Amino acid sequence: MNDDELTTMVCQSFTGVHTTTPVEQIASRGRAVRARRRIPALAGALAVVAAAALATTSLLPGTHRASPQPNAQLAAWTVTRQADGSIRVTIRELRNPAGLQSKLRADGVPASVTLTGQQNPSCRRYPGSPGLLRRVISPSFEVLPAPRQGPPANTPGEALSLVVVLLIHPSALPSGIGVQLATTFTMQLPIDSNGGVSKVAHGDVEHGLVYASPRCTG
Amino acid sequence: MAVGTQRLDFAEFYRRSADDCLRAVLVSVGDRDRAQDLVDEAFTRAFASWRTVSRHPAPPAWVVRTALNANISWWRRLRREVPVAEPGMAAAPAAAATDSPVDPMIMAALMRLPARQRQVVALRLFLDLDTARTAEVLGIAPSTVKAHLARAIASLRDDLMPERQQETPS
Repeated sequence: MNDDELTTMVCQSFTGVHTTTPVEQIASRGRAVRARRRIPALAGALAVVAAAALATTSLLPGTHRASPQPNAQLAAWTVTRQADGSIRVTIRELRNPAGLQSKLRADGVPASVTLTGQQNPSCRRYPGSPGLLRRVISPSFEVLPAPRQGPPANTPGEALSLVVVLLIHPSALPSGIGVQLATTFTMQLPIDSNGGVSKVAHGDVEHGLVYASPRCTG
Repeated sequence: MAVGTQRLDFAEFYRRSADDCLRAVLVSVGDRDRAQDLVDEAFTRAFASWRTVSRHPAPPAWVVRTALNANISWWRRLRREVPVAEPGMAAAPAAAATDSPVDPMIMAALMRLPARQRQVVALRLFLDLDTARTAEVLGIAPSTVKAHLARAIASLRDDLMPERQQETPS
């Protein structure tokens, strides 16, 4: 066997290796990275925009809606058990993290849920492999139409918001182990999309595995 | 470049090169799950900087180089994750790896190579880069690339050929 045959044999042994990540997931994460990069430059301006938006919407009567907006009553977070036994968690805004923690526990997922930087110090990290963590939790970001309040805005673009979607597989959790979630939504208010979908609010999610205990996961 | 066109370009790039990049990184790091994480992270960064990356003379090489750099950061990050209160931040693709495994003898022989030789093998053989481009990506001299590749092939031959010959009926 000459060198070419040897290297061909080596390369051919990898032909069964294929990526498992859909391009849509890469693009979704890439958009989130772009959004985070823009935060330092946009933070000041967006804070002003956010304050203005709050002031405006608080003055608008909610009954003058021109057409029903299907997303107008979206919950801050939702937990759905899927047919395959996985749990789909959608977080638009982390209001009532204790409620989300209780809901997950009721669905069989011991969890500690907090805002980023406020993790429960009673939780003890489970030193599992990244592969295990990946089998338990698949996080992603989605860009969705934002819930609209009041009459339609006079802006030409569609209001967008960034949403964290977590797919949790309880069956992959080792016995006595729970998940730890920490999220941040620093720019959750809808932002006009004139410049494209990369101009969206900023969200972040950190996740890991912890030893389940009454003080940590409840 | 319009956003829609940019998306299409990236999707096509990903479709054409994702598997090759994954295999190249797998050769370098030796762990299927970790390779997938690293390649996902590198493609994510490529998407976020697609205007720049798309003009790179060899975008797949950019992805693999970024993945290998992230591999170093990943280990550093693991060490920093030791404190109890700090949550994990591992990347997460949509599905677990279900592809067919690599011949364990070949993988073991590759893992016995020094890291730099594995990187040269990854870029030269799996991404099909020429010597000059491989040297540029790794920041080493072209002559060093040639030397690493020659040593790697010699080692692989020593490791694999006796075993392969034993498998062949006489």
